[in-house]
Amino acid sequence: MAVSAVHLESDAFLVCMNHALSTEKEEVMGLCIGEVDTNRIVHIHSVIILRRSDKRKDRVEISPEQLSSAATEAEISFSYRLADMTGRPMRVVGWYHSHPHITVWPSHVDVRTQAMYQMMDQGFVGLIFSCFIEDKNTKTGRVLYTCFQSVQAQKGSEYERIEIPIHVVPHEAIGKVCLESAVELPRILCQEEQDTYRKIHSLTHLDPITKIHNGSVFTKNLCSQMSAVSGPLLQWLEDRLEQNRQSVIELQLDKERLTQELATM
Amino acid sequence: MAASISSYTFSSVCYHSANSNSDHEGFLLGEVRQEETVSISDTQISSAELLQVVEVHNHEPCAQLFSFYDYAGKVNDENLNRILKDRHKNVIGWYRFRRNTQQQMSFREQIIHKQLTQLLGVPDLVFLLFSFISTANNSTHALEYVLFRPNRRYNQRVTLHIPNLGTTSQQEYKVSSVPNTSLNYAKVIKEHGAEFFDKDGVMKDIRTIFQVYGALQDRVQAVCGEVEQNERVKEKFQEEVNKLKQQIALRKQKSAEEERRLQEAQNPEQRPTPEENSEPPETSLLSRVAFHTPSTPERLGPSANPPSYADLHSLQDDSLLPSLSSPTSAALLPRPQAVGSPGHPSPSPLGLNPSPAPSPSTPYLGNGDGSSSDSLDRQAAGQEEEEEEEEEEEEEDDDDEDSSEYENLVSEVAQLPPVTASVLAQGRPAALSPDGDASVLGSQTS
Repeated sequence: MAVSAVHLESDAFLVCMNHALSTEKEEVMGLCIGEVDTNRIVHIHSVIILRRSDKRKDRVEISPEQLSSAATEAEISFSYRLADMTGRPMRVVGWYHSHPHITVWPSHVDVRTQAMYQMMDQGFVGLIFSCFIEDKNTKTGRVLYTCFQSVQAQKGSEYERIEIPIHVVPHEAIGKVCLESAVELPRILCQEEQDTYRKIHSLTHLDPITKIHNGSVFTKNLCSQMSAVSGPLLQWLEDRLEQNRQSVIELQLDKERLTQELATM
Repeated sequence: MAASISSYTFSSVCYHSANSNSDHEGFLLGEVRQEETVSISDTQISSAELLQVVEVHNHEPCAQLFSFYDYAGKVNDENLNRILKDRHKNVIGWYRFRRNTQQQMSFREQIIHKQLTQLLGVPDLVFLLFSFISTANNSTHALEYVLFRPNRRYNQRVTLHIPNLGTTSQQEYKVSSVPNTSLNYAKVIKEHGAEFFDKDGVMKDIRTIFQVYGALQDRVQAVCGEVEQNERVKEKFQEEVNKLKQQIALRKQKSAEEERRLQEAQNPEQRPTPEENSEPPETSLLSRVAFHTPSTPERLGPSANPPSYADLHSLQDDSLLPSLSSPTSAALLPRPQAVGSPGHPSPSPLGLNPSPAPSPSTPYLGNGDGSSSDSLDRQAAGQEEEEEEEEEEEEEDDDDEDSSEYENLVSEVAQLPPVTASVLAQGRPAALSPDGDASVLGSQTS
């Protein structure tokens, strides 16, 4: 097996969860950044949210060529920052996407897509986050996540998924790259909306009422994004700031206490 | 009753839970509103229903367990106020995260809940229970969450909604106008519609909303920058505190060794213990810690503390499915239950208690932080109910897509070596019908 396990840092896990829970109507997708160690364990330190060029409800994957160029772009813009943090070069080691209201298992398309990605990189892993699942009988909500790769039993046969153990590794502080990825989401959503609107706006044969309608749709969608994403994101950041301030005060007290204890030993 | 929680708060709770190697708990802050819904039916002109809406705005995580209550479950008012400070009045509930457990309130949780209800003066205090389960090979994990209203009859459960973007549908844009040959129409809308556009032909609203968006995004970036700085400061302090703890532990260990040597020197008849075996657990922990990843902040504490989660991983990775026979990995295998399943029989006590032979190297499962005693409580409390629920579960027609997913998981798991498979087959001790609230009646929603 090319990969023995995946270690997902908890702050990267946080960003994945944020992204997966951002919408229940469409699948979202992103890239995993990290490194593979000598024990064939894939360490994921951060994720990058990807723009969807083809926003269909049931499809999210991009072609290997698109993935490759997105990966290269990511590595160029992120590698110096990531290398800074850890002192080691990072690269794209996998992809993740969400399955809202759908079972966590990869579909046949997902397995085939993963197989194609693996042709470029044997160690490439796939993560799926299933969310917005509810058991109506017990009013239990569920969020699931799984890690997989693809394997072909024999040449020419169907690809099958193989399960890869994945563990979320504690990371008490949220890394810089993860924070930056998290706040990219509203920007990406706005860009997607702008692109769509620009195409519509360039249609000249529309009458003023239709133009006003389209403009209003853009305004409405942007408002949706602000109230559903930007607003809660800002609130969470402020809460985190407050929590951190409290933690720092407590840690300072701890440090003083321990320093005294050490001095008396 | 309806309840909602922001996706960021939800993820944050998951994040804090993932970072803790024991159970995790905290408080839910937010507000409760009354919403009036008017409905007209054939039998009456209009009926107004009052719907209570619970909105969770954020959460206050507790740094450790037993921070505001003791082992007997008695809540300490002082500690409670210290944790909550001035956010006392915003508390609408509390939450708990547990691994490999039942979806039921434990006895201690019920006691604590009653006291909190009184102390905080919130008559309808809610309790959010997170439970975490995994497949035996750790490739798939599930986080289940249930919101309880324990102060209501039958410990009512409420659906927790996570508001999100829904559809960013771009199908609402119109690519063509409705065909219209009326000259009047064209004239009127051109003349009066011009109000909406500026001289460049761009809708004024769009510019305005874009400015709002831009300002908001700038603010998000700014606060993000502050948070980032904050995180680094916190990290630095955490590292220093950890280093100090390490040094103290080393000193303590050295002095303990010296004492032992002194004792041995004074009593030469005693059998001398070999040097390498006398290494107390801490150094082996520390050496493993040093080996694993220097940058990972390890949770070091008093000598009784278990090794960190990171250590558990490094051990577990060596013990993938085929090597279940090795004693270390068997002791460390934490998840005897399949990822949820509706139709499985209730478990025997063995199924509930994941580590049959507790040893210091099984930190993660049932240590002294209350999680093991919880499972024992549950055994006592839940045993009678489970038999009833079993029959109901079989009668229920489960249309969930989830059921097929769980059956898949269970069937794969059945291919594992017999030891694990039999434990796994006992299934999840999930209470699929609310406690005592027979699903036949259905749960009441206000």
